[in-house]
Amino acid sequence: MGKLLFKGFKIFNGTEFIKDDCLLAEDGKIVKTGSGLECGGAEIIEGDGRLIVPGFIDLHAHFRDPGQEWNEDLKSGAMAGAAGGFTTLVAMPNTKPAVSEPALIEYVLSHGAAAKAARILPAGCVSKKREGKEMCEMEKMAEAGAVFFTDDGAPVATSQLLRLALLYTGKVLPRVMEHPEEISLFQGGQVHEGRVSALSGLKGIPGASEEIDVARGIALVRDTGGRIHFTHISSAGAVELIRNAKRAGLDVSCDTTFHHLTLNENAVINSGYNSRFKVNPPLRSVEDQRALWEGLKDGTIDAIVTDHAPWHMDEKDEPFQEAPFGIASLECAVAVLLDYRARNYPEVPLELLFTKMTSAPASLLPEKWNALGRIEEGAVADLTVIDESRTRIVDCQTWKSKARCCPWEGIALTGWPVMTFVEGRMIWQDSEEL
Amino acid sequence: MSATLNEIGQVTWRHRSVIDLDNWTREEFYFFLDQSRHMENVMDRPVKKVPALRGKMCVNLFFENSTRTRVSFELAEKMLSADVVNWSVSGSSAAKGETMRDTAWTLEAMGADIVVMRHGAVGAAQYLASKLKRGIVLNAGDGTHAHPTQALLDVYTAWKHFGDLTGRKIALVGDVLHSRVARSDVIAFRTMGCEVVLSGPPTMMPREAETLGVNYERDPRKAVAGADMVYLLRIQRERQQDGLFPSVDEYHRWWGADEELMKYASPGALAMHPGPINRGVEIASEVADGHQSVILEQVRSGVATRMALLYLCGGGAR
Repeated sequence: MGKLLFKGFKIFNGTEFIKDDCLLAEDGKIVKTGSGLECGGAEIIEGDGRLIVPGFIDLHAHFRDPGQEWNEDLKSGAMAGAAGGFTTLVAMPNTKPAVSEPALIEYVLSHGAAAKAARILPAGCVSKKREGKEMCEMEKMAEAGAVFFTDDGAPVATSQLLRLALLYTGKVLPRVMEHPEEISLFQGGQVHEGRVSALSGLKGIPGASEEIDVARGIALVRDTGGRIHFTHISSAGAVELIRNAKRAGLDVSCDTTFHHLTLNENAVINSGYNSRFKVNPPLRSVEDQRALWEGLKDGTIDAIVTDHAPWHMDEKDEPFQEAPFGIASLECAVAVLLDYRARNYPEVPLELLFTKMTSAPASLLPEKWNALGRIEEGAVADLTVIDESRTRIVDCQTWKSKARCCPWEGIALTGWPVMTFVEGRMIWQDSEEL
Repeated sequence: MSATLNEIGQVTWRHRSVIDLDNWTREEFYFFLDQSRHMENVMDRPVKKVPALRGKMCVNLFFENSTRTRVSFELAEKMLSADVVNWSVSGSSAAKGETMRDTAWTLEAMGADIVVMRHGAVGAAQYLASKLKRGIVLNAGDGTHAHPTQALLDVYTAWKHFGDLTGRKIALVGDVLHSRVARSDVIAFRTMGCEVVLSGPPTMMPREAETLGVNYERDPRKAVAGADMVYLLRIQRERQQDGLFPSVDEYHRWWGADEELMKYASPGALAMHPGPINRGVEIASEVADGHQSVILEQVRSGVATRMALLYLCGGGAR
C-alpha cells in the first residue's frame, strides 16, 4: 500500500489538538506527524487548515443484517458509516436471527469486511437467541470477535441473568452493554412522559424506567466486581446515578446519542407527531438534555453513539403511533453535533466531543482495539477529514443507508466530514471534494 | 383575526384541514359559533337541506367504530347536499395490509374533497393530511390526541347558554389521560377565556398536567366548586383491568357525578358528557336525566357545528 501525506491540517490526536500540521501514513499505519513534512512518492492531500481526526468510532449501530436486509444490510451500513466519517461501527446483535452464536459473529465480520468501507465489529447477545434465559457461549463469541455482549433492544431480562453475565465476563471478556429500561414501565410507551405525553395523549415512558435499570446494573457491578456499559443514556436521573457510581470507584461506563444531545421532546411536539422523531429511549425534556451535556463535560458520559436504527420508508412512514422506533443518523450525526455545539454550547471544546467519538470509545472495546481512535506513531491509519466551514443540507435521498428519513432532513448544517480513510485507504469522499 | 369580512363582504376563512384547535383564535371561534347557529336553523326547517356542498364528495373514513360521530357527520354532510361515502375499516390499516398512504392516495384518486377520519393512532389525521395533495382532512378523533369537533360542539353548547364564556369555569372529571375529548376541550375552553380544572384519579391524569395550562384537583368537590360546567368524561371499564383504578364502585363513589356533587357547582351549572354515557359509573342517572343535563343538546349541537365546519373548511366560504 502506498504512502499518504496530509499537509496543512489541524491535527486532533484522539485527546487534543497538536502543533504538527502534517501526517504521514504508509501501509495502513501512521508513520509520524510533524511540521513541514515532505516525502517523495507519497500521495499528497492538502488540508488548507481543515481538521484531521482519528476515524470516528460508533459503539452502537443497527444494521438489520442478518434477516431484514431491506431495512439495511452490513454493506449499506458500512458505507453509510464511511460517508458519515465513521471508521469503526459496532453492530448490535438484535437482528433476526439474533447474533447469539459464534458463527453469526463471523458472519457479521466477513460481510462487514466485504463492503470495503467502515470496519464493522460485532456485538453478541448476552442470552441465547436473545430470549433472556441462558447465557450465550461468550468465550467462543469473544474469540470469534465479539466486542460487546448486549441484549440491546431490551434490557437483560432478569437480574439473575445480568448478575451471572457480569460474573462470567468479569474484567476478562468484552463488556456487557446494557440497554437500560424497566419493561413494566414501558408497555405501549411512545414518547417521553412529561410535556409531550400530556399534550399528545401518547403513552409516556418515564425517565424512571431508565433510572431503575441503571440502579440495578450498578448494584450488580458492586455485587460482582464486574463491569458494565450503559448505552443510550437519556435521562438526568441516570446521569446522576452513573456519576455517583464512578465516584464510588465502580467500573461503569456509558454513552449517549447524537440525537439525545441535540433534540428534546419539543421536537416531537413541533413536528406534529411525525414518526421521524419516534425513538426509544424517547427524546426527553429540555432538563434531561441539559444534564447529558453536563455529563459529557464532567466525564460521566464516556462516548457518543448514533444508535443508527434504519427502517425502509414502507415501515417508517406511518402515523406516529404505528411507526417503529428508531432514528437513522450515521450520515449526518457528526454534522448535527458540530452544528448544534457551535450554536448552543460554543464553550464546550471540540476536543471534548472528538475524544468521546474516538479514543474514549476505543478504550471500551476489547484490548485488541484499544489503540484505535488515536493518531500516533504506529497506530492504524483510520482517519477522518473535517471541514468546519462546509454547509450542506441534509438530504436522505442521497444516502448510502437504506433509511430515507431522519429528523434533520432538509436542514442546513455546518461542519461536515469530507473524507474517510480506513487503514490508509480512502473509503469515502464528499462529492464536492472531487 | 383571520376570519374576516373582506371589502366586498365575503368571508375569508384560513383553515382547511382541521387536526386540532390549537391554532384557532378566539375570534375564529366566535365567527364559527355564529355560523353554527345559522346551520342549526337549517335543522329546524321542513326541508333540512341547503346546497352549500353540492357536488362535493365527503368520505367518512372510520378505522374505529364510532356510530355516533359518523352519523353526526353524515347527517351534517347530507344537509349540506354533499355526496357521502362511508368507508369503514376494521382494525388498523396495517392489519388490512394496506398502508395509510395507499389508502389516502386511493381516496384522492377517487376524487374525495373532504375526508373525515377517525383513527386509533395519535398523529393519524396529521399524517393523512400530509399525504393528500388536494383533499382536506377533518379529524374525527386520532387516538388519545384530539377530537376537535367534539370540542367545537361543547363550546357551542356552552355559548348558547352563557353567551360570552370569558371567566366561566369548567371542571373536567374522569379519565383525562386517555381522553382526546379532554385534550381538545382544554384547548378550546381556554381559548374562549374559561378557567379549566381537571379532576379524577391521579393514575388517569397526564403527568405534568400544568403543561396543558390547567389545574388539577384530586377532590372533585373542590374541582366542581363554583363551576359553570361540569363535564364528565367516559370511563372505559378496561382501564380498571389495566389497574388504573381499583373498582367501578369506588370510582363512582369518589368521582362519579351525582346530585350531591352537582350541589358544589354554580346554580344553573350545566352537566355535560360526550357520550355514550355509563350510567352509574361517571354519571348517575339523576344527573344524566336531570334538569341541568345538556347531553342531548350536545348531540344536536354536534350536527350544527359539523355542518359549519364542513361548510367553512370544505366549501362555501372562500
